[in-house]
Amino acid sequence: MSVAWIGSQPVSLTDAIQNAVKLLASSRCPVFSLDTDVHGTRSAIALATILGGAYDHTMGRLLANEIALITDHGGMFTTPGEVRRRSSLIVLVGEVPVFHHELLQTWANSKPDLGDKHSRHWFHVAGAETNSLDSKLLRPMKAVPVGGENLSLNATLAVLRAQLQNRQTVSTLSNIDRFKSALTAAQFPVFVFSGGSVETAGLVMLQDLIADLNKKGRASSLFLPADDDAWGSALTSLWMTGFPPRTGFINSLPSYDPVRWDVQRMLREKEADLHVWVSTREGETSPKGGKARLISLSRTDAPTAGAMITIAVGKAGIDHDGVAYSSRIGTFGFVQAMAPSHLPSVSNIIRQLADALPGKKEFAC
Amino acid sequence: MLIRLSGGEVIDPVNGKTSQRDVWIRDGVLIDIPEGETADQTHNVSGCIVMAGAIDIHSHIGGGNVNTARLLLPEYHAAHQPRPTNTPLSNAGWSTFRTGCLYAQMGFTTVVEPAMAPYTALHTHLELADIPIIDKATLAILGNDDFTLSLLRDGKSSAMIDDYVAWVVGSTRALGVKVINAGAAAAFKENVRSFSLDDVVPEYGVSSRKIVKSMQASVTRLGIPHPLHVHANNLGIAGSANTAAATIAATEGVPLHLAHLQFYGYGTEGKRKFSSEAARLAEAVNSNPDVTIDIGQVMFGQTVTISSDVMRQFAALGNASPKKTVIFDGDGNGGGGIVPYRYKQDYYGSIQWAVGLELFLLVTDPWRVFFTTDHPNGAPFTAYPELFELLMSSAARDAKCTELNASALELTTLASIRREYNLEEIAIMTRAAPAKLLGLKDRGHLGAGAIADVAVYRKGKDIAKMFREAALVFKNGDLVVKNGKVMHYRWGKTLRLNPPPDKAMAKRMNAYHEERYGLSLDWFTFPDSAIQRDEPFAEVSCNS
Repeated sequence: MSVAWIGSQPVSLTDAIQNAVKLLASSRCPVFSLDTDVHGTRSAIALATILGGAYDHTMGRLLANEIALITDHGGMFTTPGEVRRRSSLIVLVGEVPVFHHELLQTWANSKPDLGDKHSRHWFHVAGAETNSLDSKLLRPMKAVPVGGENLSLNATLAVLRAQLQNRQTVSTLSNIDRFKSALTAAQFPVFVFSGGSVETAGLVMLQDLIADLNKKGRASSLFLPADDDAWGSALTSLWMTGFPPRTGFINSLPSYDPVRWDVQRMLREKEADLHVWVSTREGETSPKGGKARLISLSRTDAPTAGAMITIAVGKAGIDHDGVAYSSRIGTFGFVQAMAPSHLPSVSNIIRQLADALPGKKEFAC
Repeated sequence: MLIRLSGGEVIDPVNGKTSQRDVWIRDGVLIDIPEGETADQTHNVSGCIVMAGAIDIHSHIGGGNVNTARLLLPEYHAAHQPRPTNTPLSNAGWSTFRTGCLYAQMGFTTVVEPAMAPYTALHTHLELADIPIIDKATLAILGNDDFTLSLLRDGKSSAMIDDYVAWVVGSTRALGVKVINAGAAAAFKENVRSFSLDDVVPEYGVSSRKIVKSMQASVTRLGIPHPLHVHANNLGIAGSANTAAATIAATEGVPLHLAHLQFYGYGTEGKRKFSSEAARLAEAVNSNPDVTIDIGQVMFGQTVTISSDVMRQFAALGNASPKKTVIFDGDGNGGGGIVPYRYKQDYYGSIQWAVGLELFLLVTDPWRVFFTTDHPNGAPFTAYPELFELLMSSAARDAKCTELNASALELTTLASIRREYNLEEIAIMTRAAPAKLLGLKDRGHLGAGAIADVAVYRKGKDIAKMFREAALVFKNGDLVVKNGKVMHYRWGKTLRLNPPPDKAMAKRMNAYHEERYGLSLDWFTFPDSAIQRDEPFAEVSCNS
């Protein structure tokens, strides 16, 4: 089975590498879209460093929203383990991505063994735009809704914060008294949120609300990333360059700018002349449009449409061992290959690209 | 490859007095003068001093909290970017790559990250593995987790505690054990806001003292070379000297390392109820041979404080500059706080600066006082050259004092201390003593058989310049720095202990994680291959 193509023609991996290197070496402004495990991300960033390229995650817009909460404000956070063991009051804020619902269910099926050890209570703070928690997994929790008529989630959080401080508000919230009583009874309430459904302003309001609660008692929040691999890429990028994604290089110096190094914007506005698409996500393809040449490293058995070079790569945890961020544990975990295959890893291919680049370059991975 | 460093002034207190002699390296190891052989490579280092590579025992260089600090403060990294050079990676901001390069340029070849939360060990090791050139090591945090506290509450045997400590050290690939405000992180989750040595953790009824003593004893019984590394209670508050003194007094014949003592050197004298107690603490250290300390020197300017002492960091939120912070209630021994801070040359900053220097200068034995800024808590490690100058020149101290708050300095003894460290003492404090403290017999000196970690400095009147830009640095015999510039990248190892795991404890840990977290132990452990570097770890032996 072929793993490399030039255009739509199957070629040897060596030929594909050599041709990809020619594109990389001649590029004036290469950009990288990343969606892979830790080691794939490390190697791609190391290559971008050598080439002076910019990099972003394929879910860059969503990730930028989550990153902005920390870069602009900060907050108080805890881990899934502490929520399970210590929190008798869980407050879901906005929508929680479906892939986290199983985690929520495990909490629903367990009782805290630390702290107040009370049976768990669930609330759901929602805005008019928030979809209901109408999934099979979440229904048994019977989360009590907290919200106001026609209030956005941002506005709901603002009103909630004000009402918890006993300030007057124009709007009222459903079940607010019940919520206040639950907060009073719980020793370690936790607000669970994801960057996917709450705008940065809302996330900041939520953190200020939690700060208020910590003046006299304890409370925290659990951040569940909109996508685990995207958050893992952000953390990896931080130690590799000192910055989160949407980082580029000016005179070899890394520069973080979520607008300037928005790779999709750069492609749309024709600032980039080469797009390196690195995605091991099943079924994901690079966005169409733009005039930049495309090198695609994808988990695929066919050439990527519009790509000058396609190289098939494996996914960590399926085709090969690797390391990936897991919101189940709130940190990186080792993932063992479930179905080892002939597909090379992203880091393997990028190492070959780096080695084949003209001139002696220090490659960090 | 046979390398000769000729004509240098060799400062190697472990192997004799300072003298002018050649240093020979064969295949990465230091050797005696080889009779009748010619070097493949000779470096004329006349006019230079030659020391072993320096070792930093306490510098927060990698792991979850450090990475969160990077995320919180992208502008801080940008402010520290250097001018462009020819080597692409050397320009990355506050990254792992920059960390390795900057340390190497100063002649440091081994650095210990002193606070690894066991559950995030893989993250820490991924970062450490991406720090080029130098060797690394890390200390596993214990003393705040439910398992330890439950063992102590339930009066379990010391053998069982030892099995647990050994399992943590082995599975996290640590070089030692650290306690951080023992018990306070667990108490903070129960809304306790202050925690002293004899306070007890709610639910467990176990005092901080009991935790420290139990861990100290266990580390000693297990033969872990580095004594228990203690971040004591009440860091940073006026009157904390009493806590530090009580912790020093609690050693009771068992070795203990007290971290960043400067942050505990505060009394309650003066109009502002904040004064120096450094002289009292130095005397306590001098009279207790079981205790070693590092300083955590404050240097002025912007930094960010990073600590797993979440209770202390929460209390410091009001002092954040800029006003953005992260507080993290982590699993067991994890978590912490990130609070950016600017040390000003005001009353409080002047006291802190002076306390650190008093401790450096009043603790008489350079084998028991260690050179740290608790990077980045007291200052970034890049401030080391200026700190060397302050220690080696009373004139430099006097000059700096004229810029500081006079009423603060009057409450210290600094002006009366004229001691100046000499190069032999510097070599002990930054090379020989750290190697001894950590159980690293293969480094910290220039004797035959040691690994060829060598730093060569061009002698000059400007002490800071001399230590900022090493003339030559060899790591395992590879020339990595020349004239203060990185010439060659290599990937060092992470030094670890590997005590054999007790099978019953491993089984018990698996059951514990299944029951309490609903996850198998596999979620929290990892093979060496997860790091994706050739032989990322090197084993250090426990004491027999």
